Amino acid sequence: MDTQLRVFVVEDEVLLQMQLEVFLDEAGHLMVGSATTMHEAITRAPTAGADLALVDIHLADGPTGVEVGRALADMGLPVVFMTANARRIPADFSGAIGIISKPYSQTGVAEALKFLVSAVKHPPPEAPLPPCLTLAPALAERWRVN
Amino acid sequence: MEARDAWKLTDRLQAPSGKGDPFAAAVRATRMPMVVTDPGQPDNPIVFVNDAFLQLTGYERHQVIGRNCRFLQGPDTDQAAVSAIRAAVESKTDIAIDILNYRRDGTPFWNALYLSPVTDDDGELLFFFASQLDVTQRKRAELDVIEERDRVEAAVAERTQELEVALQARTDLLHEVDHRVKNNLQLISALVLIERRKATDAATKATLTTLRERVEALSAVHRLLYRNDNVVRFDVAGFIREFAAEAAQARGKPPVGLKLDLDSISVAAAFAAPVALMASELVRIAITHALASGTERYISLSIKPTSDALYRFCIADDGTAEGIITSIEPDQKSFIELLATQLHAKVHWNGYVGPSHSICVDLPIDEPPRGG
Ligand SMILES: Cc1cc2nc3c(=O)[nH]c(=O)nc-3n(C[C@H](O)[C@H](O)[C@H](O)COP(=O)(O)O)c2cc1C
Repeated sequence: MDTQLRVFVVEDEVLLQMQLEVFLDEAGHLMVGSATTMHEAITRAPTAGADLALVDIHLADGPTGVEVGRALADMGLPVVFMTANARRIPADFSGAIGIISKPYSQTGVAEALKFLVSAVKHPPPEAPLPPCLTLAPALAERWRVN
Repeated sequence: MEARDAWKLTDRLQAPSGKGDPFAAAVRATRMPMVVTDPGQPDNPIVFVNDAFLQLTGYERHQVIGRNCRFLQGPDTDQAAVSAIRAAVESKTDIAIDILNYRRDGTPFWNALYLSPVTDDDGELLFFFASQLDVTQRKRAELDVIEERDRVEAAVAERTQELEVALQARTDLLHEVDHRVKNNLQLISALVLIERRKATDAATKATLTTLRERVEALSAVHRLLYRNDNVVRFDVAGFIREFAAEAAQARGKPPVGLKLDLDSISVAAAFAAPVALMASELVRIAITHALASGTERYISLSIKPTSDALYRFCIADDGTAEGIITSIEPDQKSFIELLATQLHAKVHWNGYVGPSHSICVDLPIDEPPRGG
């Protein structure tokens, strides 16, 4: 079974981009592209061949992550927000699957990715929902997880 | 026909003084303005007014007889009041109402109108009778009071608004600081990660792993403080549950089993960091011990209140190996003792729970007693 995720990372802190790349790599996944602004995200994501986008809310051009999330979700790319400020995310999660809260740990991200592999590739997900991942209310209801 | 003609008493009213009956004379002479209208004629015209009415309104008698009283109304007259009077007239009931009227010279005055139908013994409507009273003074005072009240309310609303804005600014600032703290913790863990990947010798790697785990404990504190939307109290049980699950997952393959018996205990947020660092250190000791022994199947973690002021946090093995105490590095012990001093906590290094070996800490729930 294909358990590798190809991940597009939208994060303006280069150190955190790098950290995520290591986390993804060590969990058996692949970072296929990255962006630090809304413009970069929207122009690069369509050709990145990603299965999933991890999107920070505060980007180099301001709090544009929510908009980026909406745009990528509209392109059919599953989105998970990574943020220290979940208040900025609208109630419908802007079309995203869920939120990973900052500061996250390596194990936390690995657990979340385990869940997301099945959520993205063969839903509904079988893995248990890890505590570091908050699902969008609509999906939590559809998948009956909490 | 006698009843229909009853209003003709106004003829008598109109008659020169001294000639009519004493009642008519009184109505003519009173200083209270009064009118009588005849609903039997089209548009209910005035058929009698006394001198006081003419004095109040500034009209002459021939200018008002035969007209409907609405000529007293003007641009600022409240249409709701007019409607109320119309309804009273149509339903032949009496009404007392304050209405803004205008004199002949255009000056407005507040008219306390009292209007009532007059019927004969059979209940047949004969005419309407009304008295008018200039209450401009009282009304102005009333309006002043209302205006003053509105002014005060507006001032209060404005002040409230200012305070709400200030409170919002403070809340926004708190969120902003919270946001930066979390981002910085993430950056610190990224910096540690970079060094750990560069490190070539096992000792440096181990040191940086310990550092990473301690930073992660602090990270979990800030995640929890925010998530529960309570930045004043720190949920110790929630922290241990989350941290232990991640640590067991991170270290062991397959993960070490966890037996949790956690009472809900929250402490002042000021102690969140040292409590979390101590608890996470003990959890890591227990997991390391279980993995090192090779025989331990699970570890137990418990917190229980032991009195109003104290709670006890215990880690225990499953009793199949040497005591946990044997798995502790000297610097781990001094790290925990250091935090215990700050927290006014007491560590019991070598305890037993049944066959299991345990390490327990007694911690104060609230302010640690200040040494005198
Ligand atoms: C006896 C009597 C006295 C009235 N006196 C006044 C008055 O002093 N001031 C006033 O504004 N309206 C007065 N009215 C009310 C108007 O005549 C009229 O009924 C009122 O404007 C409602 O009718 P409308 O909507 O056709 O104007 C009086 C009505 C009656 C029957």
